Amino acid sequence: MKIGLEIHVQLPTKSKMFCSCPTEGEDVPNSRVCPTCLGMPGSKPVLNKRAVELGLTLAKMLGCTIPERTWFSRKTYFYPDLCKHFQITQYDTPIGERGEFKTGNKTIRITRVHLEEDPGKTKRVGDGSALVDYNRSGIPLVEIVTEPDISSPAEARQFLSDLLAAIRNTIDLPDDGTRSVRCDCNISVGKERVEVKNVSGLQNVENCLKYEAVRQLKLLKAGGKVERETRRYDEERKVTLPARKKEYEADYGYIGEPDLGTYRIAEMAQAIKVRETPTAMTARIADQYGIGEKAAKQLVSTSIGLAELFEDMAKATEPRTALTWCTGTVSACWKQYVPEMKDDVISVVKELHDGRITDTECGIRLKSLITGEAAEDLAQASGDLDALVEKAVDEHPEVLEDYRTNEKAANRIIGAVMKSSGGRYSSAEVVSAVKRILDSRI
Amino acid sequence: MTSLPDLKRINDRYRMFTAVTDSTEYDGEFVFSAKDNLTTYDFPATAGSKILEGYRPPFDATPVKKMREAGGFLAGKTNMDEFGFGTFSANSAFGIPLNPYDLNRSCGGSSGGAACAAAVLEDHVALGVSTGGSIVCPASFCGVYGIAPTYGRVSRYGLIDYGNSLDKVGVLSTKASDLSRYLRVIAGKDPKDPTSCAQPEMPEALGKIRSVAVPKEAVQGVSKGVMECFNKSLEALKGMGVDVETVDMPVLKYAMPAYYVLATSEASTNLARYCGMRYGQQDGDLTLRFDDYFTSFRSQYFGDEAKRRILLGTFTRMVGYADRYYSKALRVRASVISEYKKVYETHDAVATPTMPFISPRFDEIADMSALDVYKADFLTIPPNLTGMPHMSMPCGYSEGMPVGLMLTADHWREDLLLGAAIEWEKGFRIVKPEVIA
Amino acid sequence: MDREIVERAARIAHLDLTAEELDRYEKDLSEILDHFQMLDEIPGEDTEGFTPVPVEDVLRDDVPNTDIPPEDLLRGMKTYDGYVRGPRLS
Repeated sequence: MKIGLEIHVQLPTKSKMFCSCPTEGEDVPNSRVCPTCLGMPGSKPVLNKRAVELGLTLAKMLGCTIPERTWFSRKTYFYPDLCKHFQITQYDTPIGERGEFKTGNKTIRITRVHLEEDPGKTKRVGDGSALVDYNRSGIPLVEIVTEPDISSPAEARQFLSDLLAAIRNTIDLPDDGTRSVRCDCNISVGKERVEVKNVSGLQNVENCLKYEAVRQLKLLKAGGKVERETRRYDEERKVTLPARKKEYEADYGYIGEPDLGTYRIAEMAQAIKVRETPTAMTARIADQYGIGEKAAKQLVSTSIGLAELFEDMAKATEPRTALTWCTGTVSACWKQYVPEMKDDVISVVKELHDGRITDTECGIRLKSLITGEAAEDLAQASGDLDALVEKAVDEHPEVLEDYRTNEKAANRIIGAVMKSSGGRYSSAEVVSAVKRILDSRI
Repeated sequence: MTSLPDLKRINDRYRMFTAVTDSTEYDGEFVFSAKDNLTTYDFPATAGSKILEGYRPPFDATPVKKMREAGGFLAGKTNMDEFGFGTFSANSAFGIPLNPYDLNRSCGGSSGGAACAAAVLEDHVALGVSTGGSIVCPASFCGVYGIAPTYGRVSRYGLIDYGNSLDKVGVLSTKASDLSRYLRVIAGKDPKDPTSCAQPEMPEALGKIRSVAVPKEAVQGVSKGVMECFNKSLEALKGMGVDVETVDMPVLKYAMPAYYVLATSEASTNLARYCGMRYGQQDGDLTLRFDDYFTSFRSQYFGDEAKRRILLGTFTRMVGYADRYYSKALRVRASVISEYKKVYETHDAVATPTMPFISPRFDEIADMSALDVYKADFLTIPPNLTGMPHMSMPCGYSEGMPVGLMLTADHWREDLLLGAAIEWEKGFRIVKPEVIA
Repeated sequence: MDREIVERAARIAHLDLTAEELDRYEKDLSEILDHFQMLDEIPGEDTEGFTPVPVEDVLRDDVPNTDIPPEDLLRGMKTYDGYVRGPRLS
């Protein structure tokens, strides 16, 4: 089975692709429109720089080759939601080509990444005529086209889910549910390929592909032939149906868009830094600092910011020390941490690393720095906590022996301290103190 | 200055306006008109097409806005061939403007109304638009000065598109100094039209043409009367100290087909939006399926030449033909530009007659085939295809009808043309038509 | 340019032509395209972009702005409840 997807994602800009109309606002039809996105005679398009930057960021994230220069084309067809009756899209110079995306153990090849404008939205009224809202007309979209490398509906879903997570992380796309993604799905079980147009949402994509795969298999088993055609997905009935045969011939008759000129995007792309995907960052940190996959994942999944702090701290001190403090005290009060504290936090740990302060002092100063609580109070509490821990370790000497070979042995001390302190300290504080004291004793 | 009541009476006779102001007095420092494919908030804009009847734009085209800001009073909108499709202004859905020198003849096109207004109204500046020669052709037929600047010199924001890579807004007037003054008013970068943002600034000083090239290919097929005026003009140029040299520009002949392919390919996409929704004609049965609904409006309201160009342009970009026509035409345009640039290495401008004949009578026009009409533009098309500034100057009269001399300069060198017009005016007196109000 | 191609172009362009129009346009377009055959004679030159003068990197900052009130834009349009009215979709 071969499956290829064409994925449409809205780019998070404040204004539309070719005009200054806002992309968000009240839910009033035709309230975010202007001569350009209504296609009024005499209006002209002007390209939004941010849309190009976001598109290039995604093309780079997908490892695409970016051409020296790009331009736009007119795709002409007639439909009430498309007010110029041509869509400004990219035909011969997409902003990215020949990329790839890893999902699980598999690499899906990306054919192309291009920019285009969304049409408006239509609805039917009683007499069969249509009502059109052009608020969406001109909303910037990126279209990502894959090679037919996906081999099952479940894999398609997994791929889409991973891809969306990566896109969200790369361009700060708000997570407004998984329905916002729209796909054209190409699937072939035998020789002929069927395209199912405009399926929204992960679940629908998977269901639609499942249905279509079974339909094609049954046809072939019965000795029939799969026809090369375009179908649509009926969400209610969960079936694909042939798209209405067109009485009017479609021939998009692509020509260049002369109103916009050309754009030297290779140069623009060089200045764009692509944020690592969480998966890539985890793998890199584990490898680069030799701290293991599990610890790296703990850092990255708490927060990308924590992982970044760890990296800087590890460079200023050394990875083990940085890991202890980042997953310990810093992680325990992460909610109060703001990026401006980074330098101060690192310099405290550096003092410890240089042997100028003790573990206990380091813990107190870090916590005071991040939470804003007075160091004296913390010292008092910490002293009390440390005393409790010391006492518990003394009472269970066998734990220290165990701990040399089995980290989990610490749990017995942690449990004892939690119990004796009566909830005065957070579990993260207790864990951090126990590990520190056990580490110092062995 | 022609009074407003007189202007209205003159319009009844020559039919150069599609709409005239309701005011009875001028309110401004100078009076101008705008071709009807330029949008303004206070007049309808139809671009000569029935399908846009009733459309009232909610905004001013940038050149109109700039003229108003400079103190201009907009007297009315001038008649034109539907969407600019024509050479004689005979393809308008709203009547045909008549040549002030002979009412049985054409004003030229497609800015026929603009040239007519410039010719018959005193102290009047007309904004025209050229795609393939639509400023210089009527300027020549009506005996006025007309300049189409470099592509992108004047913002096209608010210009109802014909061919977006070819359309240019320019100025027509009986006075050479008006061309210089008002082209500077409307020129300049406009953030609302990206293609206007590539321009270097226009120099303050007027340029001086020292040598012109006359392409051999441009004087073949030109009528005897026009040729006589043209030759006299070359002598006059020499008298002004300009070197005149005949050159070979064999690639020029490919400009005509390349132009029509590009212009109609672009036009057929621009005109796709006219369909009985959103603007212009909208009274139809909305319970019809959209394809049928759109088809009924387009079939009923587009004129004959509009349909012909839509068909041609749809064909030239169709799968299986686009490479041979559309893509090839882009490549040929590049060749024609190179051919001009070579000439500009040794000459300041290219000189030809503007039109190969004097304005034809309407009965002669009726006998011309579509191809005959397209061929009539063979002199004005090359500068338009290449986006080069060009200007027609009145240079003589044949059978009592005006003849134009066309100068074409390199991209962004309007200063050379404007300087030449000022010099030319010193030695050439326009014989004004007798205007009956 | 034969009849079939004129008919195809007309369908794509949403023009319903009478028999008389079809005859006339077929004749006109054949004549015009015969003349255009001369384009085959020259190779032309490579070019990028679609304008006769280069237009490069003209971009707008992502700042939302509305300068014409929507009600002014919709004034001349057939509307219902703020929606633009259109023909049947299928």
